[in-house]
Amino acid sequence: MSEIMISLKDINKTYKSMGDEVQALKSVSLDIYKGESVSVMGHSGSGKSTLLSILGALNPPSSGLVEIDGIDIYKLSQERLADFRREYLGFVFQQFQLIPYLTAHENVMLPLTTTKRSNREKREMAAQVLERVGLKNKMNRLPNQLSGGEQERVAIARAIVNAPPLILADEPTGSLDTKTGDEIMELFQQLNKEGLTVLMVTHNPDNTKYLGRTIVMKDGRLSDERLNLN
Amino acid sequence: MSIFRIALNNLKRRKMKSFFIMLGLVVGVSTVIGIITIIRAMNADLGDRIDEFGPNSIILPRSEGVEMGNEMSQEINYDVQKLTMEDIPKILASEVSEYINIISPKLIGAVDVGEQKTLIVGIEPKSEFMQKPWFSLKEQSGIKNGEKIDELAFVELPETSIMIGSSAAKAFDLKSGETIVINEQTFSVFGVLNETGGEEDGLIYANLAVVQSLLNRSSELSMIEVSAYCNACPIEEIAMGLEKALPNSRVIPLKRAALFREETIDRFSTFGLALSGIVLLIAVLVLFKTMLSSINERTREIGIFRAIGFRKMHIVSIIFIEAGLISLIGGIAGFLLGSIMAVYAGPYLAQIQGEITIQVGLLLPSILLSAILAIIASAYPALKAARLNPAEALRFI
Repeated sequence: MSEIMISLKDINKTYKSMGDEVQALKSVSLDIYKGESVSVMGHSGSGKSTLLSILGALNPPSSGLVEIDGIDIYKLSQERLADFRREYLGFVFQQFQLIPYLTAHENVMLPLTTTKRSNREKREMAAQVLERVGLKNKMNRLPNQLSGGEQERVAIARAIVNAPPLILADEPTGSLDTKTGDEIMELFQQLNKEGLTVLMVTHNPDNTKYLGRTIVMKDGRLSDERLNLN
Repeated sequence: MSIFRIALNNLKRRKMKSFFIMLGLVVGVSTVIGIITIIRAMNADLGDRIDEFGPNSIILPRSEGVEMGNEMSQEINYDVQKLTMEDIPKILASEVSEYINIISPKLIGAVDVGEQKTLIVGIEPKSEFMQKPWFSLKEQSGIKNGEKIDELAFVELPETSIMIGSSAAKAFDLKSGETIVINEQTFSVFGVLNETGGEEDGLIYANLAVVQSLLNRSSELSMIEVSAYCNACPIEEIAMGLEKALPNSRVIPLKRAALFREETIDRFSTFGLALSGIVLLIAVLVLFKTMLSSINERTREIGIFRAIGFRKMHIVSIIFIEAGLISLIGGIAGFLLGSIMAVYAGPYLAQIQGEITIQVGLLLPSILLSAILAIIASAYPALKAARLNPAEALRFI
């Protein structure tokens, strides 16, 4: 068995909504190993996006332990947590979430902005990653000059430019047609084969065939878990 | 890719928003610059006008004896040193010469008119009447009733003529064009002065050289009245400079005029600063509101930055760089607009006679002012942006 990348122990998350307490996660425990690819499925309100935000070092749990690569991340200071996100995590958000006034190249360079690399190195790294996702010839275009699939590729390029060990993706194919969605999933599959750990929240059962394990959430708990045969 | 580039690109994308933020700065800065430029010009103009309105120093001969405090009673003093025409070039060569505006020498003495004694004043008419613009002619020889009487400051007083104060004219029953015998010399009355309510009403005025000859006091002067520009130099310093140049004299600075001048200018300055303060406060509030709404629009974007590893400090830097860039342009534009407004509208708004010049020295303060306004207005929005919970900003929850 390989090393553990993500370890969740007895995670609870409670929100206050309209004066009432809502328990979004209830005693969730989970281990994800390095090099694994995992899909998290479940209906709206099942707690999967809350789980992703906790794993993304964006939203501390009400109780429980979150370790990524052996680091108890919520013991880090706010500033160290920001550094951790930059070094360890690659985010692929819903709806791509590209910065509209930056070109594809500049969007991909964003995670490198606050690093100490030279500008030339940053430009070269971003260009290499864009070439990797097949967009080198469109790197100077603004997001609104790209198709949905192309924007998704830029978002993936931005997530991997810093070579993080863990990719977190939230509904990455939700707004794409089937063919483009499949191409994007193949790209995630390829990244996983190269050693990246991938955790993806998805509604689309077809996506699970590209990923090694599926976790199903219901009412804030893990209700099912299965290995995918691919 | 740098934080600066992100800020610059955002400004380019949000052109209208950036423009309106900049407009707020331009309005604030240009108003302040316009007011300051106009006030400075008003101060100079007002100062000049007050300085020209009557003498602000009187030079009298130095006397070692009893002083009666009145230049007309100097005959009572003993051991009086004399002022002469030769002292005038010394004034012009003194260390305070650059501040001297009008020099009005005069000789005062008693003369016989018929069987009466009266006082006559020898003057250089142009400098005398330029210095005392409240003097005017009630009637003038050769000018009929209803016709325009000459401005005294431009009058050439013939050597055989005199001007007479209203009380003296009444006492001697004289009208313009008539003649008067003074110390056995006949003069025609060039004009009768309007009543001033002062001792001048009882005097007779003639050319200085004529009076010196009449009194047999060639080249002698009783006093010299000096109008000096006090804009760059206090009246006491001017008086000291004059005394240094004329050791045979004592100089009396007329502080009342100087104090009035200072008070008037202070009032203008205070009013201008108060007005500027109100305009700046309004500008800061408008900027604050615009910056805050701009941050609210960018919640999701800031969430993305935070999620991919930007520290709070980086977010604050982006906002401040944007504010800095806008304030730089706003400061320069505000300076130009304010200066242009002052130069073209100032003379009409403030009734300034002189020319208003662009104060280049205000350019850097304009940019600094603009930057301070932008920092004040964007400090809270920047902190608010930095404190945004990235999870909430991205609506993960």
